[in-house]
Amino acid sequence: MATVNNWIDHLSAAEVQGAVYPGVGTEGVLVIIAVILWIGWHVLQNNAESKHMDEMARKRHSANDHKSNITDW
Amino acid sequence: MTDQLGALTTIFTEFYYWITVVLMFLIHVGFCMYEVGASRYKHHQHTLMKNTMLIPLVTVTWFLFGWWIYWAFPTGPGLAPSIMNESAALITDESAFSAKWYVPSSDLMAVNLGDHISGVFWAAFLLFSWTAASIVSGAVIERITTFAFGILAIAIGSVFWTIDAAWGWHFDGWMLKLLGYHDAYASGVIHAVAGGFALGILIVLGPRIGKFSSSGEPRNIGPRNPWLVTIGLFLIYTGFWGFYAACNIPIFDLGPEYGMEGVTYWTATNIYVTPTTLSGITMNFLMSLSGGLLAGYLISGKDPFWTYSSGLAGIICASAGNDLYHPIQSMIIAMIGVVVAYKLHYWVERKFKIDDAVGAVAVHGYAGVAGLIICGFVLNGYPSSGYSVGAMWVGTDYAPINPLGMFIGAIIMFVILGLIPGWIIAKILHGMGKLRIPREVEIAGLDYDMLEASKNDEKAVSSATR
Repeated sequence: MATVNNWIDHLSAAEVQGAVYPGVGTEGVLVIIAVILWIGWHVLQNNAESKHMDEMARKRHSANDHKSNITDW
Repeated sequence: MTDQLGALTTIFTEFYYWITVVLMFLIHVGFCMYEVGASRYKHHQHTLMKNTMLIPLVTVTWFLFGWWIYWAFPTGPGLAPSIMNESAALITDESAFSAKWYVPSSDLMAVNLGDHISGVFWAAFLLFSWTAASIVSGAVIERITTFAFGILAIAIGSVFWTIDAAWGWHFDGWMLKLLGYHDAYASGVIHAVAGGFALGILIVLGPRIGKFSSSGEPRNIGPRNPWLVTIGLFLIYTGFWGFYAACNIPIFDLGPEYGMEGVTYWTATNIYVTPTTLSGITMNFLMSLSGGLLAGYLISGKDPFWTYSSGLAGIICASAGNDLYHPIQSMIIAMIGVVVAYKLHYWVERKFKIDDAVGAVAVHGYAGVAGLIICGFVLNGYPSSGYSVGAMWVGTDYAPINPLGMFIGAIIMFVILGLIPGWIIAKILHGMGKLRIPREVEIAGLDYDMLEASKNDEKAVSSATR
């Protein structure tokens, strides 16, 4: 994975390569992974929120019920 | 970097933008505190988390496509040719400031020894994106789903404000060339667009339960924690210093840039690469803040929430031309903006039953629009760009700043890129049943089960003997 193995060789080259992160050339794969993680997060968050809302809605609390749950800590 | 002066200039610029990012982070801290302070106890934690989660969502999408949009869209596309490649198509060629270098798989979008600026500039713009999304966040508290807000935050933070920035904030933007648009510190490109977007959502989302009586009279749902609100707004003021600095280029030689033979002129410039000074804009920032506070205190009857918000509205209104205004002009413009924003807020609330929980549409949207229109008159005739200035509508040249162009620009920002997209996306989310939380949850409070769990924890601990 290492793009640079020797800084002296790297910086004294006729043309210094700018990109020094591991795995230069795999950026496309990294972007695909990022897109999957991003969209996947929305799916998981939406599922969890929908379930939570359905459960909460079934309880039908009044506007002041939460006051009995206010804690001292 | 092979010579010391070039290295110093580059690394100073890199560090300058880095500092602006740190300062602008405080804007988001302030927005979170402000929103939580404005929300009711039973919604506090969800309100906080909704605004917090826009940070990763907008950041990731800004990396994936937001930054690319900024560099690709200055021409419209199809509205005015680029001064770099003389084409009106999307700028994706090999030219120096092409979007080609800012696709997420580009090696410039990473640690790159050959580029010290792209990353910090990307981050400075990203912090603007958070601000745009956070403006929307406050307006919709206590009734929007986190899912819907996440989608809307990405839309305003990584798409629509980016398009307007490409059009009206990029040195090559078509709005400068055709309209003579000028918006140095983002009255329109951040504030008017985000305010309009928030209004579009609010039309579909509807008011909080209890906001309006059965006869339609609005009820005041004031901030639950005024101290958190005021500290939040103070932090937003603090972060705004970074915002202003980030809208400048700290050191630039305009002689060769403008093609002036033999001329060397080092200066700070605004985002359009026309000269200004950090010193001058500092005076204008403080005088417009002062004008906003003075007017807000009087017009709101010394209400702290509105007085603090008016300080912000004052800065926002004067921001379009604060690179060139006299400080007293800034102060007067700020005062006008506050009166417009405050009056419009209550008129719209009564007339259209719009529940803007924190006055975001007023402070950012109305004050921003007022600032753009005023700027068109006060800076009438100034060049919108240093590159070259020609007649309006020519397209290949830059129109001077003018009232009509700024008025059209204000409509583009508030309505075309703000209100309409916000309304359409909210309508789609509403149609999917994903926009608003269930009525029962809103009444009980979004945090009801968290509070209940906390109470149970407390009981368990308080009765424990070991």
